[in-house]
Amino acid sequence: MPAHNPPLPVMPGFPGNKGIWAGITCEFVEFTVMFAIYFIARAHFPEAFQQGAERLSRVAGTVITLIMVTSSFLVAASVNALRNQRRSQAVLALSTALVVALGYPVAKALEFSWNLAHGIDGGAGIFFTVYYYLTFNHLVHASWGILGMIWVLIRLAKGAYSAEEHAGLEALGSYWHATDLVWLVIFPLFYVIN
Amino acid sequence: MGPREHYSELLVTWLVLVGLTLASLGLGQWFHGASWLPVLVAALVWIKSFLVARRFIEANLAHPYVARLVAIFIVIAPAALVLTAFFGPTIARWASL
Repeated sequence: MPAHNPPLPVMPGFPGNKGIWAGITCEFVEFTVMFAIYFIARAHFPEAFQQGAERLSRVAGTVITLIMVTSSFLVAASVNALRNQRRSQAVLALSTALVVALGYPVAKALEFSWNLAHGIDGGAGIFFTVYYYLTFNHLVHASWGILGMIWVLIRLAKGAYSAEEHAGLEALGSYWHATDLVWLVIFPLFYVIN
Repeated sequence: MGPREHYSELLVTWLVLVGLTLASLGLGQWFHGASWLPVLVAALVWIKSFLVARRFIEANLAHPYVARLVAIFIVIAPAALVLTAFFGPTIARWASL
């Protein structure tokens, strides 16, 4: 009689797909390098970093943080709704996430123009050079996420995803949450600590 | 087993993230110059990141690669913040050309 082999445990999968996690790994490595630049600059010029946060608009930083966590929540709610076969709620949640997320480039544009009106440009000192370097890069990543959100929303509304197959929606969610994680670090580094 | 309904968990997570964000706003003003402020800020950053990783990404339910990648990334900046606050001159010396 052949020996009975117990079934192998099933390895949990990648949220979305492997491709998006290759991209997220690159994003994390890229921002880890940028954070290293921030901390090395901070170690060399502690006074500049202590005074820099006082000159930035804390309101802008807070509004962007609220936009990121709220849109992240709404994307997660959309995934949850679709998994539970509530397509219309999934579409509504993702549409709302997109509207909220679009507030980010608007808030950033207003913040940058406010900065320039107060004499804060890339040459205003080491703190502001690093600030523009990091926050502009994050804006670029968030813009890619917004474009992805539009694409996934169109596909979701056209019925391309189901409760059983929604890897595209999960991939978008993973990327947007990862971009949210990066901002949760940027916010205190530039707007809170002084 | 069907998909798990966890909207209320997501909602509570969002409310906590909003609350911690608003609370952190006052930290720089209330505790201006306090030596332990970076430790508190680092702890808040890690807690908020952990919540996003656990509740939104569901990293704990994902492939070990995802779980480890996210766990490592969310600890890097808080650790660097504390190290820079207490060992800034040493780091500056090591990072000098």
